[in-house]
Amino acid sequence: MEISPLTAKKIKRFRSVRRGYWSLVIFCCLILLSLGAELLINNRAIVVSYNGEIYFPTYGNIIAGTTFGFDYRHEANYRDLARRIKNNDAGNWIIMPPVPYNPYENDFSQDSYPPTAPSMAKKHYLGTDTSGRDVLARLMYGFRIAVFFSLALLAVNYVIGVAIGSAMGYWGGRFDLFFQRIIEIWHNIPFLYVIIIVSSIMVPSFAMLLGIMAFFGWISLTWIMRTVTYKEKARDYTLAARSLGATDARIIFSHILPNTVSIIVTFAPFSVAEGIIALTSLDYLGFGLTPPTPSWGELLQQGWANMQAWWIAGSVVAAMVLTLAMVTFTGEAVREAFDPKMHTVYE
Amino acid sequence: MYLKKRTPLFWIWLLLLTLIFTGCSSDNGDSGEKGKDVTETPAAAAAHPRYKAPYTQSGPPEDIKWLTNNNDPVYASPSTQRGGELRLSITSYPMTFRVVGPDSNGSFRSAILGNQLGLVTVHPNTENIIPELATHWAYGRDNKTMYFKLNPKARWSDGMPVTAHDFAYTLQFMRSKHIVAPWYNDYYTNEIDKVIVYDDHTLAVVSTKAQPDLHLKLALRPVPSHFYGELGEDFVHKFNWKIPPNTGPYKITDFKKGKFVKFSRKKDWWARDLRYFKNRFNVDTVAYILVRDFNMLWEYFKKGRMDVFPLTIPEYWHVKTKTPVVEKGYVRKIWFFNDTQQSASGMWLNQDKPIFKDSNVRYAFAHAMNIQKVINTVLRGDYFRLEQAFMGYGDYTNQSIKARRFDLDKVNMYMTDAGWQRGPDGIWQKNDMRFSVDVTYGFDAHTPRLVVLKEEARKAGIELNLRKMDASAAFKQILEKKHDVAWMGWSTSLRPQYWEHFHSDNAHKPQTNNITNTDDTKMDRLIEAYRNSLDEAERKNLSRQIQARIHEIGCFVPTFMVPYVRQACWRWWQLPEPPGTRHTKDLFEPFDSATGGLFWFDQTLHKETQDAMEDDVAFKPKTIIDKTYFR
Repeated sequence: MEISPLTAKKIKRFRSVRRGYWSLVIFCCLILLSLGAELLINNRAIVVSYNGEIYFPTYGNIIAGTTFGFDYRHEANYRDLARRIKNNDAGNWIIMPPVPYNPYENDFSQDSYPPTAPSMAKKHYLGTDTSGRDVLARLMYGFRIAVFFSLALLAVNYVIGVAIGSAMGYWGGRFDLFFQRIIEIWHNIPFLYVIIIVSSIMVPSFAMLLGIMAFFGWISLTWIMRTVTYKEKARDYTLAARSLGATDARIIFSHILPNTVSIIVTFAPFSVAEGIIALTSLDYLGFGLTPPTPSWGELLQQGWANMQAWWIAGSVVAAMVLTLAMVTFTGEAVREAFDPKMHTVYE
Repeated sequence: MYLKKRTPLFWIWLLLLTLIFTGCSSDNGDSGEKGKDVTETPAAAAAHPRYKAPYTQSGPPEDIKWLTNNNDPVYASPSTQRGGELRLSITSYPMTFRVVGPDSNGSFRSAILGNQLGLVTVHPNTENIIPELATHWAYGRDNKTMYFKLNPKARWSDGMPVTAHDFAYTLQFMRSKHIVAPWYNDYYTNEIDKVIVYDDHTLAVVSTKAQPDLHLKLALRPVPSHFYGELGEDFVHKFNWKIPPNTGPYKITDFKKGKFVKFSRKKDWWARDLRYFKNRFNVDTVAYILVRDFNMLWEYFKKGRMDVFPLTIPEYWHVKTKTPVVEKGYVRKIWFFNDTQQSASGMWLNQDKPIFKDSNVRYAFAHAMNIQKVINTVLRGDYFRLEQAFMGYGDYTNQSIKARRFDLDKVNMYMTDAGWQRGPDGIWQKNDMRFSVDVTYGFDAHTPRLVVLKEEARKAGIELNLRKMDASAAFKQILEKKHDVAWMGWSTSLRPQYWEHFHSDNAHKPQTNNITNTDDTKMDRLIEAYRNSLDEAERKNLSRQIQARIHEIGCFVPTFMVPYVRQACWRWWQLPEPPGTRHTKDLFEPFDSATGGLFWFDQTLHKETQDAMEDDVAFKPKTIIDKTYFR
């Protein structure tokens, strides 16, 4: 793909904003890391070599305890297995993930009740929550869910918003008037109440929650796209394209859209932050994803109710501040990179 | 351009706002309209002429045997002191002071009803009948009628005597359309037949059908006719905040909407020297103060702005009470074991769902629930295993039934017998069925218990999907029988009720309490025999058989019971020995005519403690654990 000099300039400009650039890099790394979370934070071993056979339990079906010489048929407890192998089993070896807990299992230690404080020895690096689940595991898996939720929300909102917005701006007239009224009405529906009502009468799944949020989320971008399209439509190059006989679709997709991309891109990081906060807020209020799905909002709720367990509130607040700061820094850098004033010379 | 950027801020703002609101909502009560005209003048009280029922010329039958009870043990302490104020909390302000009609069925109703005595009541330790407004009672031969002789000293709080006519008026009142209470309209028409007035202090109450334990049904509470007069269309509105005269020890003397309700002890209450009321109802005033948030209530209590705090939740008893006021002995903890009916709480399996049609699968499900682990971990060993649905009903309870314990081998056995096999993910499968069921529940506080059950059930090859809903939405779904497994508990009554929960009349249709859709011929026969029997011994025997049958069917997995009350109170509050009765559910219940008002305020200890707190002198911390009634 060929990068136009203008785009190259924007990218260069973006990279020169160090804070934003590195935020984006770290954020992307975190997303990649979270995709492989099963290998890092999991109660299943990465590799087991037992009696000459090699097993990779991380993905796929469960391996019964009997396979490894336990007396039960449900899934093997790999932490027990690791302990046993370490003590005597000669010839066998096992590689456990750095954090050997999954985000759902309750680790009730013998001497105290959860939440338990961070402990290096037990490998609960951020302690456990009120149900004895590893906070780091829940943070990581919760991060993955929140980020992909907001990315999916972003995609849906942008597809709807851009499509309707540019159609409104391009065609104008009755079509525009009609959608303007629709949007005005839509805008006045109390979005939070709708979610609360819906999720109290049925249990919301990931897709359903996404649907409801998108249902109300497309409006603001539509408004902006409409204005920008109106502006671009009046430009000479659009007129030229039309006089050459280009179809509406061609004009919109090949001429107008590329010229509005800077606006879309500028808003994207902020939308990601918004999505994360929206999901967290709903989970905090108890109207989000069903328990026991790992979620930051639920951790925040636990932290608030158990202030003496500082590691719960501390971890999740720190994680949120860091994530949102990174996203916002990225957003600022993008905005600066796309700032038209930087590319225009007044004489 | 910058419009969009505000939106994340909006969410943060919203989050903060919720934090603030949940934190200090108690300061944010309603505008607080001051109650007006709370002291009734006799002129106002006598605004209506008293209702007079026609006298029945012939007296009560000659052959009836008048009974009374002045021999059962008293349970109040002989060494109580009068005085002081008890400050209790309510989490929501009552919507009305009426006890019938719209919005009246709130939790505050019991405080008002506690001061409205009935004809007789049941002794909380012996379960024998004891007098209240009536001194004597007798049973008719028809098993439908009870005769009562009123205590001639009985007075309304406005000084008017309580007469037999007031009970006749009760029926008229409860049957009136103007009170907008269909349930009461129906009950007082189809269950209570009539009240017969022989003279001002002798009456009979007649049930529409013969039944056992008549006294539980026929001990009416009188309604003051001279206060209500002729009811009209405006009843609901007119009496929302009116304070009717009552017969109990306290009456409301002050209230401020959205803030508090204050009850004061009557100076010369007519019943204060009666055997079972003596030395009870000792505090001068009882204030119910609105505190909407539980965390906030705990803070208020520690600051001494509340007198009592419930400690049933293990975390409060074990962790949060490790706080200076407790450790310095200013506040004491009480753990009192009672012996009363336990809520049937647990997992109710919907037998209309294909998966639960097979009894082997239901047994396997029960054996896959590691209730004991939940008790040992989440509940810190403080709750007890509920063995079956009807615990604490005395001889009506079949003590030989033991709930099915967590046992992986038995799960394997039952599932294999039923023709199921473990799938590749470890979950049982049979044809296109997978042992994955939804658990519907309504309280966030129960999630920690369910996540442990879920993880343990996975070992047994059963997948539980937690379906947390709004409490009323969950209940609605359950009543419509759309659940797989309902996680809930039922309220209790003095005798076990089976027909509504287990009779086939109520199966396979929405809006009935048979949420397991139990449809079993043997069960129907037993329940019908139980309902029709008037012989106590036979009923007890049938009751135990029904419970055995429920266990056999296996549609209910009992979970926990809490056969005790745990509370914290300031040091100057004193309780009798033992601190409560067999049926006590709250040691600081101020009004209940059977179990309430046993505590008192010790002036000397109050002063001593206040001085000690000022000088920062500590006492020896004290925790009372009473197992008098523990079984």
